Amino acid sequence: MSAPLAPIGRVFATEQRPSTPHQFLFWTARRTPVGIGAIVRVEAEGRTVFAVVTEGFAWSDLARPIDAVLAADGDPAGGLEPTNRAEMRAYVGAVLRQEPEDPLQPVPLGPVHLATDADVAHALRMDAYTSGDAATGLPVGLYAAGGVEAPVSLDADFLLGPEAAHLNITGVSGLATKTSAVTFLLSSIFQTFPTHKGTVAGLCFNVKGPDLCFLDQPGELQAEDRRIYERLGLTPSPFHPVRYYAPYKADGVNLNTLRTNEALAATTEPLVWGLREVLDYAEVLLNRDDIDAKADAFIDFLADRVVGKEFVDQSLRTAPFRVATFADLEEFFRALFDFVELMGKGGEVWRTHHVATIRKVRNRLGNISTRSKGLVTDDGEVNDLPWGAFADRGMYVVDVAGLDPLAQDLVFARIVSKLREHLERRDLGVDHVAVFVDELNKYAPADGPDTYVRRMLLDLSERGRYLGLVLFAAQQFRSQVHRRVVGNAGTAVYGRMDGDELAAPAYGTLSPATKAKLAALPKGELMIRHPHFTQPIFVRFPRPPVLQGRDGVERFPPAGEVPFPQAVARRLRALDPALAASMVVDLVADRMEDDVRRALHATERARPADTLPYFKACLGRTVPREVRGGRRTVPGVATRDDPYA
Amino acid sequence: MPSQELRRILAESGAPGAGARPAASHGRRDEAEIQEAHVVEGGRFEVYPVGPPEACPEAVAFLDGAQQHEVLTYTGAVPLVSATVAAAVRERHGRDLALAGAQRRHLVVGRAEALDGLPRIPVDVERVEISEDEPFHPIRDLDTAVAMIDRARRELEVRVGTAFRKRSNAWLIVDGSLAISPAWAADPRMLSVSKSHATLPFGGDELRRYLQLPGGHRSSVYQPDTSRLAPVYAWGLRLWPWQGRDLLFGLVRVEAAPTPETLVRVDELSRWLLAERAPISSADARWDRLLYGIHSVEQYLRAAHLDR
Repeated sequence: MSAPLAPIGRVFATEQRPSTPHQFLFWTARRTPVGIGAIVRVEAEGRTVFAVVTEGFAWSDLARPIDAVLAADGDPAGGLEPTNRAEMRAYVGAVLRQEPEDPLQPVPLGPVHLATDADVAHALRMDAYTSGDAATGLPVGLYAAGGVEAPVSLDADFLLGPEAAHLNITGVSGLATKTSAVTFLLSSIFQTFPTHKGTVAGLCFNVKGPDLCFLDQPGELQAEDRRIYERLGLTPSPFHPVRYYAPYKADGVNLNTLRTNEALAATTEPLVWGLREVLDYAEVLLNRDDIDAKADAFIDFLADRVVGKEFVDQSLRTAPFRVATFADLEEFFRALFDFVELMGKGGEVWRTHHVATIRKVRNRLGNISTRSKGLVTDDGEVNDLPWGAFADRGMYVVDVAGLDPLAQDLVFARIVSKLREHLERRDLGVDHVAVFVDELNKYAPADGPDTYVRRMLLDLSERGRYLGLVLFAAQQFRSQVHRRVVGNAGTAVYGRMDGDELAAPAYGTLSPATKAKLAALPKGELMIRHPHFTQPIFVRFPRPPVLQGRDGVERFPPAGEVPFPQAVARRLRALDPALAASMVVDLVADRMEDDVRRALHATERARPADTLPYFKACLGRTVPREVRGGRRTVPGVATRDDPYA
Repeated sequence: MPSQELRRILAESGAPGAGARPAASHGRRDEAEIQEAHVVEGGRFEVYPVGPPEACPEAVAFLDGAQQHEVLTYTGAVPLVSATVAAAVRERHGRDLALAGAQRRHLVVGRAEALDGLPRIPVDVERVEISEDEPFHPIRDLDTAVAMIDRARRELEVRVGTAFRKRSNAWLIVDGSLAISPAWAADPRMLSVSKSHATLPFGGDELRRYLQLPGGHRSSVYQPDTSRLAPVYAWGLRLWPWQGRDLLFGLVRVEAAPTPETLVRVDELSRWLLAERAPISSADARWDRLLYGIHSVEQYLRAAHLDR
C-alpha cells in the first residue's frame, strides 16, 4: 500500500503530553517537508495510524531568556553565535484513521512517514467511494504537502444526498475564492457525478456584479491549472448548456444584468412574473407586522377566490371579475372601495374582511409591482424558468444583482420553493439540483428577523437532502449565519479567513496553527471538512474553467442603456441577429410603449422562426391618428345697440 | 542499560539488591592541590587582555566523555558496581553540530569473588576486576571502582578522539586535559578546556592574581608539572567577569601543545574560546565554564548512552 520511504519523524509521548487515540506528537529533523496540513502515517507493530498535522512547536535548550541576551552582550546586532542552539521540532498529528479501527487505542510510538497517494486515499476513507462500479467520488482538489500530491474527492452521497448534503463555503471577499471554488466544484460534479445516481443540474443566483455572468464562456487557464485538471481526471471546459435569466429594468425592455453584450444576448432571457406568481409569496415582500392574521386571511381569499378565476359579486358589479394581472386587481379593488363608500356607515366590513384590512392589503400588493418593477409586470406577461424541463448537467443562472433586496428575496423564495415542489413530485426534469447562493449571512442571518426566506433556507438545509435539493451557500462570515443552516451543511469549505472571524467560538476546534494557516491561505487553496474526513484537509484547486466575472466584463462589455426603440431592436436582434435595427426602430416609432412591450415579450416567449413578422403581428395594426376638425362654435350675437361693440 | 539486566540476573540468583547511587556517580573525582607550574611566556606571571571574542574561522569539533555507575549488590560485604562510560565528538558544520563519532562501554566492576557470584555476564558487558592486592574495605572498594571507571572513560575519550583525528583535521576542543594522552598533547590542532581547579598551578600572590583574572583576560602561559602525564602548555582564561560572584566563576584552564606556535597564537586561541561562550549552556549549573559545544556533546551522551 505504501512505498518504502524513509521516516521523517518519530512519535514521542511524555507524562505531560501523552499520545491519545486521537492525537499524538512526533519530532522531526530541523529541515523537514512536514508542515501544517500534511498527512502522515505512523507505523508500529500491529497498528498503522494516519494523521494530519495540525500544530507545530520548536524548542531550544535555552533555559532562561536572559541567557540569550547575556550571550549576545545585550546587542541583537552583535555577532552570530558560532554554534546554533540545539533545537527540537515537534508536530501534533490529529488522527484521521487507525488500522485496526477496533479496539481504538492510543497512537503507539513509531516512525512517522509522509503519506503517499494511496495513504491519502486510505486516510480520508476515499477508498470506500472512489473505486469500483458504484464509485461516487467527486474530485474537489489536490492534497499537496512535502512533495506528495494526491487527488481528494468528496462522496456524492454526502454532498448531494441522501446520506448528507449541502456545502457551505466561507472566506474573505475579494480573493475570488468562494465563487471560483463553487464554480470549479460544480464543473467537477457535472463531469463526474455517476450516472447510476441520476441526473443533476445547477441553479446559481448571481447576487453581485458579474461574478456568475459568463459560466458558458471558456476562461484563461495557466499550465499549472491544466496540470491540476489532468491530475484530477477532469476536463477544463465551460458549462453547457447554460441559460441565463434576468429581470428587466424599470423600462421593461433593457435587461437588468451585466450580461447584455449582443454576443451573449441569445442565451439571456428575461425573468418576468405576474400577479399569480407573486401572490403565493406575498409574505416574502410584506413584513411580519404587515401580515397579521386578518391580512393573511384576506390574501388567502384573493388567492383562492379571485386571482386567476372568474369572480362574481353582483354587489360590486354585474360583470364578473377576471383578475389575472395587477391592473385587473386594481380594478377589483376600485370596485370594492366604491361599494363600501356607497354603503356608508355599516359598510366597513365586506365578506367578513374589514375595509381597513382590505386597504392595507391593497396598498402593500400595489407596491409590489412598483418595488419590483422589471420583475413583476402589471400586464400578466410571464417568462419563467423551465419548470419540468431542467436538463441534466444544465446550468441555470438567475441574475438578481441589480434587483431591490426585497425583490431578490422574492426571486429566491419563489424559485427555491418551485424547485422543491417539482422535486417532491419528481417532475423537475432532473433528480438533483445544486442551488448556489452567495451572501448567505444576508438571507439566513444568525440574528435578525425571522423572515420567510430564512425559514425556507432552514427547511431546505434540514430536509432538502431527501429531495435532491442541495444548497451550496457562501458567505464571508460563517459565524453570522444561522447555526442550523451551516450546521446542516455536510461539507464545509474555508478559504482565506479574517482574523476576527477565526476568533469566533465556532472555530474553537481548530488549532492556532490551522487558524494561522487559514488567515494566510493563498488563492486557490481551501480547507475542507467532509463527513468522511475526521479532520479538516487542505487542498489546492485550479481556476474554474469559465470566464471570471471581471474578465468577462472586459471581453464582453455590457451594452449601454439605449432609448426604448433601440432597446426593443436589440432584444429582437438577440432572437434574429440578421434583423436590421433600423427596421425595428421605424416599426415601433409612434407606437404606445406598453403595446410594444407586450408584443416584444410575446415574441420573446414564442421565439418564432420569423421574428419580425411575428413581432409585427403581435404589435397589431397601426391605428391612424384622427385629426379632428376645429370645434364648431356658436357665433356671438351682434346687436347694434351694444354700447361697447 | 545493562544494569537492569544484571539486576534481573542477580534477582534470579537470589542475591540481595542495592540501590545506592553515590553522589559523585556522574562525575570524576579530583583532589585539591597546588602543583607549582613553570611560566613559559615572558619569564614571570602576568595578566593579559585577549581582545574581543572571535569565532574560529576553521572547522571545529568538540569531544567529551561521560560515565555513570551504580552499586548492583553486595556479595557478603563486597560491592559489585555496574558502569557505563561513553565518549563522543560533535563537529560543527556551518553553525550546526553533528555527531562525528561515539563509543560506549558497559562495565561490571568488583572483586573476583563478587564477579564470580554473577551467574552470567551479558555479552556486551566487560568484566573489570579490583586487584586482590588491595586490602578489602567496602567503601575503599567503591572508590577504587570509580577510579577504574574514570580511567575507562578517559581511555574511551582518547580512543574516540584518535579515531576522529584520523579522518579530520578540524580543531578539536576537549573537555578536561590534553595531558592524559601524549598524542593529544602533541597535537597542534587540539585544545582542552578544564572547568576543574582542584589542581592549581601557582601559590602566593601569583595564585591570587590567577584567581582574580578579569573577564576576557588570561594568565601567562605556563607549563604544569606533568611528570606523570604528557607535557602541555596551559593558561588560565576568564570567560565571564567574576566580580560579584565566585572567584572561580567563568575561570577555565586551557591546554595546548607545548610549541612556540602556541605562545604566538595564545591570544587568538583565547578569543576563539571566548566566542564559544555563546550560546550559553544555561541548562547546566556549570554554564559559566561550559562551552556550548562541550555541553552539546554531554547532552548527546546523556540522551543516547546514559540513564540521564
